Parts: sequence; structure tokens; C-alpha cells
Amino acid sequence: MRNIYLTIIAVFSCVAAFGQTVTGTVSDTSGTPLPGVTIVVSGTNTGTTTDFDGNYSISASSGQILRFSYLGMKPKEVTVGTQTTINVSLEEDAEQLGEVIVTAFGISQEKKSLGYAAQSIDAEAIADTKQTNLVNSLQGQVAGVQITNSGGAPGQSARIIIRGINSLDPSANNQPLFVVDGVPIDNSTVESPNTPRGLSNRAADINPADVESMSVLKGAAATALYGVRAANGAVIITTKKGEKGKVSINLNTSVGFEELNRLPKLQKEYGQGFSGEYDPSSFWPSWGAPIDEVAQTEPGHKYQDNWNRAFDTGVRTDHSLSISGGGEKATFYASLGRLDQKGIIPFSTWDRTTAKISGTVTMNEKFNFGGSINYSNSGGNRVPHDRFMERMMYWAETQDVRDYINEDGTMKTYGNTNPIYDARFSTYKDDVNRIIGNLNFNYSPWEWLTLSYRIGTDFYSDSRTEITPGPKGIDGEVPLSSEGYLEETRINSRDITSNFYITLNNKFGEDFTTTLRLGNDIFERKYDRITSRGEVFIIPEFYNLNNTSRIFSEQGKSIRRLVGFYGDLMLNYKDYLFLNVTGRNDISSTLPKNNNSFFYPSINLGYVFTEHLDVPTWFTFGKIRASWAQVGKDTNPHVLGATFVSPDHFPLGGQVGFSRNSEFGDPMLKPELTTSMEFGAQLSFFDSRLDLDFTYYKSNAEDQIIPVPISDATGFSSYITNAGEIQNSGFEFVLGADIVRNEDFTWKATANLSMNNNEVKSIREGIDEIVVGNQFGYAGSTVTMKLIEGEAYGNLYGSSYERYGANEESIFLQRNLPTVIGDDGFPVRNGDQLILGNAVPKWIGGLRNQFTYKNFELSFLVDFRADVDQYNQFDNFLSAFGKNEYTLARNDFRVFDGVLADGTPNTQEVWLGQGVGPDGRDYGAGFWRNAYRGISENFVQDASFIKLRNISLAYNLNDKVLSKLPFTSMRISLAANNIILYSPWDGFDPESFSAGAGGNAIGFTGLGFPGTQSYFLTLNFGL
Amino acid sequence: MKITKKIVKNLGLFLVLMVVSCDSYLDVNENPNNPEDAPISGLMINTTYESAKNIFRVGDITSNYVQYLASPNPASASDTMEPVSNNNTWFNIYNVMTDLTVLIEKAEEQEANHYKGAAQVLMALNLGMGVDIFGDMPYSESFTFETVTPSYDDDEQLYATIMGFLDEGINNLQGETTVSMGEDDFIYQGDTAKWIAFANMLKARYMIHTKETSSYSASEVLAATDNGFQSNDDDAKVGFFEQDINPWADVARDNADLLLGGWISEQFIQALDGTSYPTIDPRLGLMVGTTDDDTFVGTVNGAGRGNAPEQGARSTLVEDQYYTTITSPILIATYSEQKFIEAEAAFEIDKSRSYQAYLDGITAHMQMLEVPQEEIDSYLADPSVSMGEGAFTLADIFKEKWVALFLHPESWNDARRFDYQYKDMDVPVNLNPDLNGQFIRRLPYPDNEVSRNGQNVPDVTLLDRIFWDE
Repeated sequence: MRNIYLTIIAVFSCVAAFGQTVTGTVSDTSGTPLPGVTIVVSGTNTGTTTDFDGNYSISASSGQILRFSYLGMKPKEVTVGTQTTINVSLEEDAEQLGEVIVTAFGISQEKKSLGYAAQSIDAEAIADTKQTNLVNSLQGQVAGVQITNSGGAPGQSARIIIRGINSLDPSANNQPLFVVDGVPIDNSTVESPNTPRGLSNRAADINPADVESMSVLKGAAATALYGVRAANGAVIITTKKGEKGKVSINLNTSVGFEELNRLPKLQKEYGQGFSGEYDPSSFWPSWGAPIDEVAQTEPGHKYQDNWNRAFDTGVRTDHSLSISGGGEKATFYASLGRLDQKGIIPFSTWDRTTAKISGTVTMNEKFNFGGSINYSNSGGNRVPHDRFMERMMYWAETQDVRDYINEDGTMKTYGNTNPIYDARFSTYKDDVNRIIGNLNFNYSPWEWLTLSYRIGTDFYSDSRTEITPGPKGIDGEVPLSSEGYLEETRINSRDITSNFYITLNNKFGEDFTTTLRLGNDIFERKYDRITSRGEVFIIPEFYNLNNTSRIFSEQGKSIRRLVGFYGDLMLNYKDYLFLNVTGRNDISSTLPKNNNSFFYPSINLGYVFTEHLDVPTWFTFGKIRASWAQVGKDTNPHVLGATFVSPDHFPLGGQVGFSRNSEFGDPMLKPELTTSMEFGAQLSFFDSRLDLDFTYYKSNAEDQIIPVPISDATGFSSYITNAGEIQNSGFEFVLGADIVRNEDFTWKATANLSMNNNEVKSIREGIDEIVVGNQFGYAGSTVTMKLIEGEAYGNLYGSSYERYGANEESIFLQRNLPTVIGDDGFPVRNGDQLILGNAVPKWIGGLRNQFTYKNFELSFLVDFRADVDQYNQFDNFLSAFGKNEYTLARNDFRVFDGVLADGTPNTQEVWLGQGVGPDGRDYGAGFWRNAYRGISENFVQDASFIKLRNISLAYNLNDKVLSKLPFTSMRISLAANNIILYSPWDGFDPESFSAGAGGNAIGFTGLGFPGTQSYFLTLNFGL
Repeated sequence: MKITKKIVKNLGLFLVLMVVSCDSYLDVNENPNNPEDAPISGLMINTTYESAKNIFRVGDITSNYVQYLASPNPASASDTMEPVSNNNTWFNIYNVMTDLTVLIEKAEEQEANHYKGAAQVLMALNLGMGVDIFGDMPYSESFTFETVTPSYDDDEQLYATIMGFLDEGINNLQGETTVSMGEDDFIYQGDTAKWIAFANMLKARYMIHTKETSSYSASEVLAATDNGFQSNDDDAKVGFFEQDINPWADVARDNADLLLGGWISEQFIQALDGTSYPTIDPRLGLMVGTTDDDTFVGTVNGAGRGNAPEQGARSTLVEDQYYTTITSPILIATYSEQKFIEAEAAFEIDKSRSYQAYLDGITAHMQMLEVPQEEIDSYLADPSVSMGEGAFTLADIFKEKWVALFLHPESWNDARRFDYQYKDMDVPVNLNPDLNGQFIRRLPYPDNEVSRNGQNVPDVTLLDRIFWDE
């Protein structure tokens, strides 16, 4: 490897030019510094580019001409005189496409020069979404990027997947790397271990108001420079910086309300009891007598409308204050933010306090440095939403769910546990303190050489306390738990990233510009988690571990280190042909020593044919691009070889037992390798009023490191080894149109659409399937997500109605065949596990429209997903308890549509009710409980949707009014979020799923926190 | 140029240094949570404890088949003898055998012969329990990790392996040892004499299974019982803890919390309450709970609870009885079971010994439950119990053994050998139609094993018998 670097360096050793040094800053007309501006001394080989703050330094003699060029700007030529400082401001060139995109290590690059697809969204597009979680603000805005809200809890995690799932490992992290100002940060989601409570993904600690832009780097080509950790792509976040010139102050304040965005269709006619008989103490909430009938003899007996009344109106307030500015030598940005949120499930809360300060200092033309530090504190009370919703299922529709507490503080109930009482007293609070910071130094001894160093840290502590109270010791109470417990969890995580690189610029003749970057990257993560659980409180309601009679502790530590060396060569030929070659060698502490060093290259090419060939004038810009790239991937720390574990229940009687760990890590493990390629075109017409971007991609992840489930008889149950290949391929389209561009009225629209195909290419020989997850369904209707060779990720397996003439060999349910009806007149259940649907959406897309009329702005964002199925566990439970609308058919006779075993049509009439029917036959628990709820097919449903993700109307005060006020700008806006426009799904928001962002068992709604729609009023003041 | 060369040179040196220093910098992968080695004592603790848990796990499956328990839900697969995938039990049997393999190896290295001997006895226990429910199992290609798809060994050959372990175990327990067992032995706290008796008791148990095969010898069984347990004090059992409660107590507690389970079969109630037999068994109220009306009402296997509510109308396991107290032991092998084995082995060759062993077996179980002596006496005095040597049949042994082995997996082995000929025992309601009206004869191989080792898993039906049942 070393030789390669040395050779590359040798190639550049011809660079040499010394003379008078000219320095300066290049900015746009508004004074914003422009990074990456190319500066060339005409007629020479000498050239340089501006750094992040628009500064440059070049040697030139008096009389020579400096040519400043930057995509999207009109080039400018300045003759060097006697002055040593030349500040230049470039004007926008309407004829060029001027998009700049921030790529690896915070390097701004002209999008024109990229040989791969990358897309970014700006501060306005982020702010418009009104999302508290930065990940959510990407929703529907970037092609090929799927964001899924895991639920409507305050602060709840959101999952991001770029171009499909890349790993066969059910527990793999398939999400991209998040990078803030050049420093990778942790975006993990650590769920509550005992019952789902909807915790946050760690990127939610960032205040979206501090973000200037977010770029999404999709393919391996875009991320080769971040190495193994960016194998699933990268989200590059650039935070706001101070600008030279006057100090500006900005205050943003917002208040919002949220409510359920969708309810399943429910029946309101039948109340508590079973077999159609009323029983006010029955466990059965809705199989009883008609409510109207009972109400005639039981005063106050009525349908309580609990499903609407159990939920609160959520409230959210969000305030951000920022101050920024700068002088000739330095800039600064400081901000404070505070968010408070109360969710729709009572007692669910989340808040976030952020403080940020950043600055840059230009010491002289050769040396500058900068840094930022971001502190955040976040957390809240996470209600047990799965349990809440489950208890809502059991709660009688004729008992008031809001009337949940007695005066002495015990639970008020007719027998079942009240969901609101549980949500109030079974608490789980997390408290995260986090610091993300970086320092960076740039030194340019000569204009062709820059040495850069950046060191960053992401440090957080997460302190969690879970309490389930025991009995209060009051006679006749119904406690939530017969013992009660307290679980204290402390997580400490520290990431350190060090990155040193040198940049060499050179120009060969008039036509070739080259940039070479060589660098070294070191990463370390230390993680430590301690959990102590105390059970049985000696003094009721005194929550301290010292007050419990049984204490268990558990610890998990890990350390991971990575060292990488990389090179990145960019060639620019006549500004229309761009070639980029990268190579990286990573060494990982997690792999076996003889296999832990691995190299992977990438190459990409962009050809701007509109600058090379003669094209009609309406053809503003055209580029075709191609890339091929590989990226390696290591494994988790501490998985190699065989170890022993002490099972959780020890010590027992003072003795601690050991058992061999049933997981065995292949001592010959080698790194995974993902090879991807993409082709695309970026086109622009009619003065850039119509933009089109198209990409085709394909990626194959081979030698996947998977914990392969193996026969327990081997002595292990799971063998971590290289065992399979998965392929993703698809298309992405982005269309932008400047539809109306008048002085008073403008209308812009951007749309994106993506399609992804996934195939499991191979799984290690001898292994038939990999189970990703499963979710309970009553009476054998449990649904399982399994991977098998030759099929797509995300297939859902379960029981179904027996089909007449079905091909025995088929692994898919043959829905179009007639149902077989048994001798008893009911459909026959097929318990074989068949594929009932797929939980990965094939199509996703979004459309954003922005209108301005005088001082009014209106924007809305619609997004959709299609061709996706999910297991609706809510529906399974509702049908088992007779709560959904279709179970109104409980006293009907029906002739089931289908054929008998001999193929003749079914004609037998049966009763759907419980007990002995009018026909004298005993139907037991009735059709819905005996048959319907036990068939998975009924509950694996189309989960497509079209959502109005956001609509926002804003008014900016005009200058006339402002001149009388102490503000430089003032804006008021109204917005609404997450409104379901269309979905065939019968249930709560189909977007919510129970695994949380960290899990891959998508396609299971569980009894997740229902989705919400929200409304906001926002005021913004500039000073 | 000079400067450039210097940079190149220095950079080269820098890179070399980086690569060299990387080696130690990156050497941080040793597992900080799980040790790479474990002491034999720690393995002994876990294997004695988990062997008892395995008795529960298998008993939890078989108790519905032998109709101790019945599901409160109609047509529950555990009652109706549908193929149920017992992944967890399969895993735990192999998990203990894996630890025992490691323990035997380590004990051999350290010449800790008592550990080795005890581990061999436990290996025989777990492997035997597996073979009795699954038949052919992977063994000879197991635990060495030379293949991820180990082949299956013939069940009859595995029985020879089991007997070999017991003989070797006895041998090792009788010999010298460098390290002695103590509190780390959850079964006998290091009493090797009891371990030897336990090994002999297990020999008797496995030999009696093979009564219908040519290799069977009644005198060998009786020789084993002679060297086996001498009283209830010798019983192999593991007591439970406040922190980790007896699993049957857990079932009873869950049931009280409406996580339904542990409902008593009508077959069991009626066998003891005077319905099927003329006597009322004094043990009934010590083994199972009553309804709210203080009566014993069972649930019909496969029928579910019908219109009965979740609580109060049927007999279930209830906390704080002999089998269901938080700290109750799980019984692995008892003196009373051994007495019934002796009775069965002696039946053909020494009927009076057989009859006496039968009565002793009943007494031993009653004493274990602390039935008052006068109630023991009056039960034993009943002519339907003490029918006299002449009228005494094998069926009497099987009936009383069935009662004495409440919740124990051994009963399913007996039931199959006895062709389920217990008085009034019928196939469950809603019986799996594939069984053609017959009782289940084995467990299916678990789904996990089929999915992971499908090529080797034998193709069997639930009516295919274990070799000793043919």
C-alpha cells in the first residue's frame, strides 16, 4: 500500500512555483464566502481553490491575470497589481446550474463535477418540515431515501434506509453514517429492553434550526472516503456558520398541537361480556349484549368512545435563538434551543435543550482554524405504548377509561388493568447529556499544498430509570405488579475521530486541473452499559435500589478501533470531463488479525457534454456520469471465537454458573465487500427552468458477515461467518421545474421517485432460511419475516385460507384460487407458512411545491410509498376481541364463498355468533374467534399511503412595516404535518412500526405508538 | 524539489510508523464481557441447575400428553397432539450437553475425576431424555464443530452410549479426584455416594424402557436398583430460589395473573377423586388447587374451558403446594420412581418383591408429600390399592407410578410403553386428525433444527416409535 502512496506523491513532485503571494476571499454578491472556487494564473500551471471560508492564497507576479471560476457563477478575471490582497465577489450566472454539494470530510464540490448521484436539502426545506427529528426532515425529499417514522411518541426514532437493505444479518445496522461538520456521530437507537416505549435515534439530539444543509451521499462511490462506517451511504450535515459583516440575531418560536391521524373502523354496538351476554366484570370487552339493550336497565351504560377519549391533544413548543457574525479575521455562530413536547398518549413527554457555539479564525493567508461545540440534553417519559394499546384492546368499551384512579391513588378498575393508570405510573425516563465537538486546522505553506487536520468527539451519557410500582399496601387495591421493580441503566459512549489529510492542487497546461488528497483517519468508540435491577420494594413508592430486596446487575462493554489510509485523485479536463479515483485501506480491530486490513477502490466519471458539444440554446446543461466502487465492512467488536457466559439469573445461593456462549465467531472471518455501480444523467433545459436527474444503480454486498443460525447439536446456535450475498438495484428520478417566475408570483416544484428491487442472491450452503423477526398473532396467526435464497428482503410468512387446487410446491399464497370450505361450512385454515406479502416498499417518492405571491409563501410536500404489505397486529387483536367494525356481523348467517374439497361450490349456511345459534348448532366461541383471528392472511395488508407530509403558509412582513419595528425581518407561518391523504389500510397510521429505527423487523406494526397529525404556528424574528 | 523529496521521505516514515503502531493500537478485540475460559466449578453449577430445568421443560410438554394437565383453550396444539415445534427444549438439551462435554474435557485434564463422573451421569440423563422424546439425534458429530450439519445417530446405539456414560461415571465417582465437588453441585452438594446411587437409578430407568427388546435383563435392573436410592433422602433434585423461582410455581403464579396455564386434566382429577377408582386419594388436595366452591374440577384435554371463566371454576396448579412453592425442588429422579421400576422388573420373576416395591413406592411418594400417616395407612388399606399379590397387575404399577411422577417427563415414556392403557384415558377431543385416532408416540424434530440441518433430519411422523416402544 505504502508504495502506491509514494508513487502518487512522486507524480506530484513536479509541482513548484514561487513568487509574490496574493491572498483574499471569494464571496457571492451577498457576501457569503464561496468554498471551492478555482483560481488560475492565466497562461501558467499555477492554480488553487478556496477553502471552506472562501479564502485563497496564490503566488502570482504583478501584471499576471487571475481567473476565478465557479460553477453557477460568472467567471471573473482580475489583473494582479501591487496589492497582495484581492477580494473578489462573483455574480450568479443564470445560465449555469450552480449547485454545490458538501461531500466527504465537508469538502464542497460542484455538483457538476460529480460522477455519482448526490442530493441535498437546505435550511429552508428543513425548517419547512417542522420536524423535531432531523432524520424526518428528509422524508419525501430525496430520491432513493426511505424514512420511516417508527411512531407518534414524542422524540420517537425515525429510520432511514438508502437504496434498500444491504445486509442479511437480522441485527445489522442498515442505516447510513451521520456526519456533522466532518465528524461522524452516533445515530443508534437503544430501545427499552422490557416493553417497547419508542425511544429516540441519537440524531434527534441535534437541533434542526442549527443545520444549514444536509447532503445525502447514496452510493459507495460517494462514501469511499468515509470507509467501512459509510457502507450504507452517508448523511452529511453542515451546521450554520457566522458570516462576515454585521451581527445578526434570529429568534424562532413555534407552538404546535397534535392528534391521532387515523383510527381503525370500530363497532359501537356491542359491549362488555361474552356470547352476547352482558357482564360488568367480564374480561371480554366487546362480545356482550347490544349496548342499547343493556342501557334500558343499566343507567349510565353507554359506548364510552374510549378510543378517542383515551388520547390527549399533544402540545409542542419550540424556541431557538441564534446570534452570528464575523469580522475580517473571525466569524462566530451561537445558538440556544429548547423543545418541549407532550404526546397524545397521556404522560408521554420529551424535551431537548441545545446550545451550540462555533467559530472560525483566519490567522493569516496560510493558516486558519475553526471549531464548534454542541451540547444537548434530551429525554422524557417514555410510556409503554405497546402495553397501553394492548390494554386498550382489553378495556371494555362501556367502561370509562378516563376514570382510572381512586382517591387513595390505587387503580380504579372493574377487573382489567387500566391503560392510563399504567402509562402514568409505569414510568421510564431517559436523560441524555451529549457533546459533539470538533476542531480543525488548515495550513497552506504553498498554494498547491494544504495540510488539514480535524479532530472530533461525540460523547454522551444516557441515564435511564424504569419504575413499575408494587402494591401500596392498601386493602383491596389492584396493583400493576405484585412485586414492583426499579431498573437503572447507565450508558456511556465516546467516539473520537481523527482525520489528517493533505491536499495537492496542480494544473497541467490549460486543460488539466488535478487535486490529490491523501489522508489518514482514526476512529475509536468506547461503549459501556450497566444495568441494575431491584425487585420488591420494602417501603412502597420509595424508588431507590437500596429499598429493594433482590438486585441483579449486568454489564456490557465494547471498544472498536479503525485506522484508515486513503487517497482521492480528481482530474478535471477542460471543465467538461471529470475523473475521480479513490482508494482506501482500512484496518479494523474487530476482525481476525490476519484478515483485518483491506483495500477498496472506486472510480467515477462525469462528462458535461453541453460544454463540449454544440447543443441548442434551450439545452442549458447536460451531464452523463458513471461510477464503480467497492467498500469493505468489518464486524461488531468482540465476536470472534468461543466464550463463556454467566446466565443472568446467577448468582443463586451465592454460586455463579458458567455456560459456553452459543454464539461462535469464525476465527477466519474476512471483511464484507460491497460492489456498486451507477449510471446517470443530469439535464437542464430552458434556462434551468426544467431540471431532470436520472440514476440507475446496482449494488451487491458479498461475503456478508451474518450470525448464521446453526443446529444446536453442533454445540453452538449461531455461527458468525461470511455467508451470503444480497443485491439491490433500482432507478431514481428527480424532476425540478421553475413553473412560474414573475415578480409577484413564483411557483417551483420538485419531485422525486424511486424504485428498488432486492434479491437475496445466496445464503451459505446448508442454511435454508434466516428469520429476521416475528410478531404474535392469536391462534396460530403469528407472522414471520424470513429471508430465503432467490427472494426479496422483507417477505412475510403466515397461515392462510386453504386454496383449492393450489400448487403444493409454491411458497407464495395463491390468492386468486378459490377458498376451500370444510364440512363444517367454515373456511379451512392452512397452517403452512406461505409468503403473504413483502414489507419493503418497492416505490417511494415525493413532490414539493413552493409558491410565493408578494409576501406570502406557500409550500407543501406530498410523499407516498407503494407496493408494501405489513402485518396489522392491531387488526388481529381487534378481531379477537370483537372491537372492529366487521365483527358487527356476529349474529349473521353466511354462506362462505368457496368450494368444498371435491371442488363443488359451498352452499352450507352457518352462523357467525358465539354459543348455540338460532339453528340449534353450538358454534363455540364463534367465527371471529374460532377461525378469523387465527389466519395471518387476514392481517397482512396493503400498507401503501399518500401523505401530505407538510403544508406551510408563511407571511413575511414588508419593509415598510418593518422600518417601524425593531426587526430586520419578521415572518409568521402556519403549518400542518403528516395528514394521511389516502391509504387502503384499516388501522392507525400504517407508518408506525414496533421495532424502532434500530431494528430490521419492519412490516410488523405491533401495538405501536399511533401516528399523529400536527398543526403549528411559528413566528420568526430577525434582528 | 528538495523540499518535495523531504516531504515524501517524512511522509513515508510517518506511514511506516503508523502501520507499525497500528498493531498494538488495534489489538483491543479480546472480549471484555465474556471470559474465554470457565472454571469446572462454574460449569458444574450451571449443568446441575439446567439439567433440573430440562426436566421441567420436557415435563411441560409431556404433561398434557399423559393428561396431568389440559389446556384452558379449545383444540390447543399441546393437548390435541399436533406437531409442536419445541425449539427451546431442543436447544437447552444440547446446551447442557455442550457444557458437559467441555466439563468432561476440563475435568479430565485436571484429573478431577468426581467432576468428570458427575458430568457423565448428567450427560446420560440429558441425552437419554432427548432420545426418549426425539429418537435418533445428532451426537457422534456434535460438539467438535467439524461440521455445521451434524448427522444423526441411531436411537438404539445412543442408548448404548448412555449406559456407557453411566458405567464410566460410576467408575470415576468411585475413584480418586484432585478436586472435590461441594456447593457447586446443586443436586447433592458433593456427596459422591449419592451420585453413584443416582447413576444406578438412571441405569434402572433406561433399562426398564427396553423391556420389550432382546437386550433386556430383569436381574440387571434389580441389581441396579439394589445399588440405587435407599430412601427419599437420596432423591436427585434441585431446589429453587427467591431470585429464580420454581418454574411450576411460576406457571401457577402466571395463571393467577391470568396468563393461563397449569390447568389440571379431568383424567388426573377423576383418577384421584374416586371417580375412576373407588378410593379418594389423599394426595389430590396437596397436588392441585380447588375451584371457588372447594371442589376438584378438571378440564377435558382438547376441549378447553368451554364457558368456564378464567378463574375459580376449574382445578389448576396453585402456588405454595409441594410442586409449586417458590423454592420447591424440581425432582430429577426419586426413590419412589425407583421402587416402581423395581416392582415392574420383579413382576415376572419375583412377584412378592414386586408387590412390596409397589406399596413402598406409594408410601415413599406420600411421605414426600407429607401425607399424614393415618391417611397413608387408610389409603394403603383400601382393597383397590392393596389388592393382594395375586390380584396385583402391571396396570396397578403404572397407575400408581403415574400419580407419583406427577409432572415428570418419565411418565410419557411409561405411557407409551403401557400403550396409554390407563383407566378411562381417552384420546383428547379435537385430536390431530393425522393420528387416526391414536395417541402420539414421539415429538417432531423442531423447526429450527429442520431449518438449519434439514438434510440430516430424519423424516418421521408422530406415530413413528422410539426403538424401545416398538
